[in-house]
Amino acid sequence: MEWISLLWSEIKKEHRNTFHSNLVYFSLLIWPAIAFITAYYSFLPFQRGADSPLARFINPDHLVLFLLTGYLGYIFFWCLVQSAWQMSFERQAGTMEMIFLSPVNRLAFVYGRSFSALAEGVWLFFTFAVLAALMVNGIQINTWWSVPLALLVLLVSAVVWGGFLTAAFLFSRDAGFLYTILDEPMLIFAGVKVPPLALPVWAKMISLCFPLTYTLNILRKLLMEKAALLEVAPQLGILSAVLLLLILLTAVILVLAEKHMKQTGNMVLY
Amino acid sequence: MLIVDQVSKVYRLKKRVGLLRSEWQDVPAVNKLSFQIEPGKIVGLLGINGAGKTTTIKMCSTLLEPSGGSISVNGLDVVKQDRQVKSLVNMIAGGERMLYWRLTGRENLVYFGHLYGLSSSLLAERIPQLLKEVGIEEAADTPVERYSKGMKQRLQIARGLINDPKYIFLDEPTLGLDVAIAKHLRKYVKELVQAKGKAVLLTSHYIQEVEELCDDIYVIDKGRLIAHGTPERLTKSLFKESTLRVTLPQISESLAEGLRELMQSHVFSWEVQEAAEEGCELIIRSEADVTSPILALISSNKLPVLKLTSEHPNLEDAIVYLAEGRSA
Repeated sequence: MEWISLLWSEIKKEHRNTFHSNLVYFSLLIWPAIAFITAYYSFLPFQRGADSPLARFINPDHLVLFLLTGYLGYIFFWCLVQSAWQMSFERQAGTMEMIFLSPVNRLAFVYGRSFSALAEGVWLFFTFAVLAALMVNGIQINTWWSVPLALLVLLVSAVVWGGFLTAAFLFSRDAGFLYTILDEPMLIFAGVKVPPLALPVWAKMISLCFPLTYTLNILRKLLMEKAALLEVAPQLGILSAVLLLLILLTAVILVLAEKHMKQTGNMVLY
Repeated sequence: MLIVDQVSKVYRLKKRVGLLRSEWQDVPAVNKLSFQIEPGKIVGLLGINGAGKTTTIKMCSTLLEPSGGSISVNGLDVVKQDRQVKSLVNMIAGGERMLYWRLTGRENLVYFGHLYGLSSSLLAERIPQLLKEVGIEEAADTPVERYSKGMKQRLQIARGLINDPKYIFLDEPTLGLDVAIAKHLRKYVKELVQAKGKAVLLTSHYIQEVEELCDDIYVIDKGRLIAHGTPERLTKSLFKESTLRVTLPQISESLAEGLRELMQSHVFSWEVQEAAEEGCELIIRSEADVTSPILALISSNKLPVLKLTSEHPNLEDAIVYLAEGRSA
């Protein structure tokens, strides 16, 4: 019950505090849509036939759907990088100190915050992506529940990722560098625009560091390759292990970050 | 009861010693400080800037961990049992931060209430009552960014009371407020303590505020306790004498003789100074009040009193004296 009221309260707070204008929503639709269109047209001048290098990794006819799913996953994860980064504003406003003055369950707080940022940040592009996916007519599913399962995988992975980032941003006011480290590399290495299989070995190793890589793999198998549950079970197992590790890390970082703040007094430094 | 026992806080700060090199430096903020606060009492923590007041308040409210010593709230350790302590305490600081400006006053209170695990039904009952008590019920649904400074401070107080804390830590609560609002807030704090039995730890730069509100005062300097007592006792322990200044056209020989005679029955000292405007000023210092016999003596000498002032040292003098005495 406490989680639900906190979650609802967090959603309302985020809505009023961050998503206060229609222009914010407009920007959350327009820039991912432009990024998606740019990515698509970057592929167009190159050879995309059955004998092209691209065809070794994806069906060139499914390029649009590949990019759409890639960008949809990226936007889910990107929203949470942004939300975590905005913890620095809570630090500046002094509200972070008030949150940590309260006995609120820290995990509930970071996941509530992530979920609310996600719910507000992606719905418009999500609608756009679904409509576009229906229009390009390339979705291949094994059964009806492949769609809700794909969405659940995306949602849970993103919220867990968001919780981890929020905890990491609590550690220091200088955690802004994480934004630089995580944003563009995630776009390049996690399989948003280019399949990770097409990357060199060193880049493949980097791609394994991003939960988005595993999420997109499952998402595409479920929505584009007609995969049954048993076929994605190994990938789901790996993703679950990665997410579990992230949850554990989040819990540990939260304890360490709060202890660090209590020892150094850096909660009020900004 | 809140018990602060031999508490110290040392900050480790990084100091740059070269372009790429830096070294750690220990900066003590609080040094073996001890005090207690009982329910229904207001305790003041005084000191000049950098004395360690805010650090102490933050340690009591679980926002900072002491480097040494212990703090307990109703028997609960603020480090080991911090979650339970957090439900019993709250902190209200001066200034306009610590609120979500785009949210309304009511929305702020709902949000902070949920952080304390309070149910929506309880909040629906408590929030209008708190808004009314702090006098901003009419602006409850106005975004905080449109509030005046005083209204923001009132909302801060409502936020600080949202979990019905047993212990309230007020860190410069009337900072920058105008006289009328500050007075109203002082009255409200007094009521909270008297009617609801809250315990309050107050830091303030306004000595008059501390004098008016506090039952007990701890004066700290560079993190160390340097004086403790009621406002009255603290002042009297440092300044035993009051000063009576009487401006007269002249000090006649018979008046001087009368003063010498009076010194045999009353304990006081006197001196004469040139007055700024006209005549001269008779300055009398004594522990007991000697105004009546002095005025009677002047009257019997048929001298007109041009000006009369009686100076009693107050808490502010005591704090300044303590601070200057220690830095000298």
